[in-house]
Amino acid sequence: MVVLLQALFSGLALGGIYSLVAVGFNITHSTTRTFNFGQGEFLVAGAFVAVSGLLLIAGKGVTDPLEQADVSMLAYGGGMLAALVIPGILGVLLYLTAVRPFAGRSGLAWVMSTIGFGVLVQNTALAIWGPSPMVMPSPLGGEVIRIGGAGVLPQEFLVLGASIVVMLVLDTVMRRTRIGKAVRAVAENRNAATLMGIDVSAVVIGAFVVSSALAGLAGMLVAPITTASVFMGLTLALKAFSAAIVGGLDNPRGCMLGGFLMGLLEALVGLWHAELREIAIFLLIIVVLVVKPEGLLGRRRVEKV
Amino acid sequence: MKKLGTIIRTVALAAGLLGGAAQAQDIRIGYNADQSASAVAELGTAGRWGFEAAIEDLNKAGGVLGRKVVGVIRDDLGTPPKSIQNMTELMDNEGVVAVVGPANSGNALAWLHLPQQRKIPVVVPIATGTEVTTRYSKTPQNYLFRISMVDREQIALLAAYAVKSSKTKKIAIIGDTTGYGQGGIKDATEILALHGVKPVAVEKFGPKDTDMTSQLAKIRDAGADTVIVYAIADGSAHTLKSMEKIGYLPTTLGSWGNLSSLLPRIAGPKLSEHIILAASTTEDSNARTKSLGERVRQRFPTMTTFACAAQAYDAVILLAAAMKAAGTTDGEKVAVALEGIDGVQGVIKTYNKPFSKTDHEGLTVADFYLARWKGGVVGRYEDAVTKALTPADLKK
Repeated sequence: MVVLLQALFSGLALGGIYSLVAVGFNITHSTTRTFNFGQGEFLVAGAFVAVSGLLLIAGKGVTDPLEQADVSMLAYGGGMLAALVIPGILGVLLYLTAVRPFAGRSGLAWVMSTIGFGVLVQNTALAIWGPSPMVMPSPLGGEVIRIGGAGVLPQEFLVLGASIVVMLVLDTVMRRTRIGKAVRAVAENRNAATLMGIDVSAVVIGAFVVSSALAGLAGMLVAPITTASVFMGLTLALKAFSAAIVGGLDNPRGCMLGGFLMGLLEALVGLWHAELREIAIFLLIIVVLVVKPEGLLGRRRVEKV
Repeated sequence: MKKLGTIIRTVALAAGLLGGAAQAQDIRIGYNADQSASAVAELGTAGRWGFEAAIEDLNKAGGVLGRKVVGVIRDDLGTPPKSIQNMTELMDNEGVVAVVGPANSGNALAWLHLPQQRKIPVVVPIATGTEVTTRYSKTPQNYLFRISMVDREQIALLAAYAVKSSKTKKIAIIGDTTGYGQGGIKDATEILALHGVKPVAVEKFGPKDTDMTSQLAKIRDAGADTVIVYAIADGSAHTLKSMEKIGYLPTTLGSWGNLSSLLPRIAGPKLSEHIILAASTTEDSNARTKSLGERVRQRFPTMTTFACAAQAYDAVILLAAAMKAAGTTDGEKVAVALEGIDGVQGVIKTYNKPFSKTDHEGLTVADFYLARWKGGVVGRYEDAVTKALTPADLKK
């Protein structure tokens, strides 16, 4: 029982990270029918920008080792701002250079160009911070909290709490505000949205900013658990993408659900056989794609001729 | 125009001759190891400064064969392609007569054939993979020597301690899925069998995994009171954190990769003191290690991997001794001389016949002892069990 509880906590924390990134995929996909295949590298950017932000706040060099004493809650807030803003700016650059020239045209040029942009980001990070992992202490410390016999790291709670809050806010914005309405209108029909006076290009740029900032946030949140590494992005983004496919790429709630499902599946399969985790995830994807290709909460698109 | 060309050619020729002459006078020794990239970079960096300290000492004492010794440093970034490139560059362009390196066993295995073909002796100061010195041991002359902690010999010590300290004789093994971890699991299983112990659980984790709670829960449920962890520092640190999470802290033994400061930085100071690791030497061993530690720390203030500095230092000293014995820097003769040297004073110990024709390991389990993190440094670890260990316990 305790073992199950332990797996549940690990799964939920990791699931929160997948969800954040998966929702990022949803936002750009629903507005432009494209998404950033290099999203993983934006996690890397978020993690390292946050570490360096914290170091600067502590008055150290950007590549020095970060100590627990340097990570107060206030400083962490500063680091978080940096991890949102800089990947957000990168998101604008990504849209202008790698998506806009190709979006809406036939062909898959945008796939290659977004991967290429990710490689640029990763190699820039490699040049600045080097290939060795950087340790980022949690602002809540490293003492294990016991719940029903299972041990949970404070950062795992922070990850779960922060991702749920962010997703609730996003959900409310999308459903209750004029901005959300504009985004949904663009997703439904770009031309009609333009005719209704919606600034489509502003909405689209906004979508890329939010998507990239979410990845940056996810990178920063996960860094105290996994350490910040230039090579951390690909696996996380791939699983987040799987989460979006399983949950339904066109439904933000589906993406969130998919993220938590992936995290839990991974942790529970790990209980049984650790080396079967990845196999289980990708088997699930194949099953979902066969049985319900639009994803668990996705809407079937009916093309009227 | 023609005249200018002639001048340039003459100058270039003269410079080439002068450079060539300078090179012929100096004895050039290469150092090739990861100093920046993987979790062993701290081992490679410590090795580098130990290497340079040895060269400094040799030159202070008048050089070798009356010639100045020059170190040529290369960083292989922990990747085999770069390591191979460095080796060819060192041997073909820089004209080194011997090489000290590398840190990663995989890199060594990728280029072993190059020095072997060129007949240039290599002394491995860090990489611990067993095959590094054995692949060419059947050839007329094996050019690969080592002053480091071979995996199997480390495990011999860890297993001996595990068997002696375990009350229930229920011992488990956990390792990462890389060649390093898998080799360790294999060696540990075989050596435990020599002690008549079958591990109650053998678990694996991916090199990038951070949550090993499910594997450890299985080990705990199998009733193990002692766990041997075979992984480099970050994997071991995450294993310790997962142990804390499930409230299961058995006697934990690990490899010397845990000398890297990544271990206390990831696991925190308290947990890092829980794991007992194998070491060849620590700074508190003797006056020589203490003084070398202080010297290396001037160049590398955050050094925690002292054993690597000492091993690289001794690697250079042994090479120099062999060159003196051979009376030349010719690789073929130096390799033969290495197999014959005797009574060479190093930092770790006095090397009495460290190598033979068939055995190229300068350090063995008899030279190793257990160590542990304490207050940010690694020191010798002793308890009732370590004191009771006899040479007969060190089966391998």
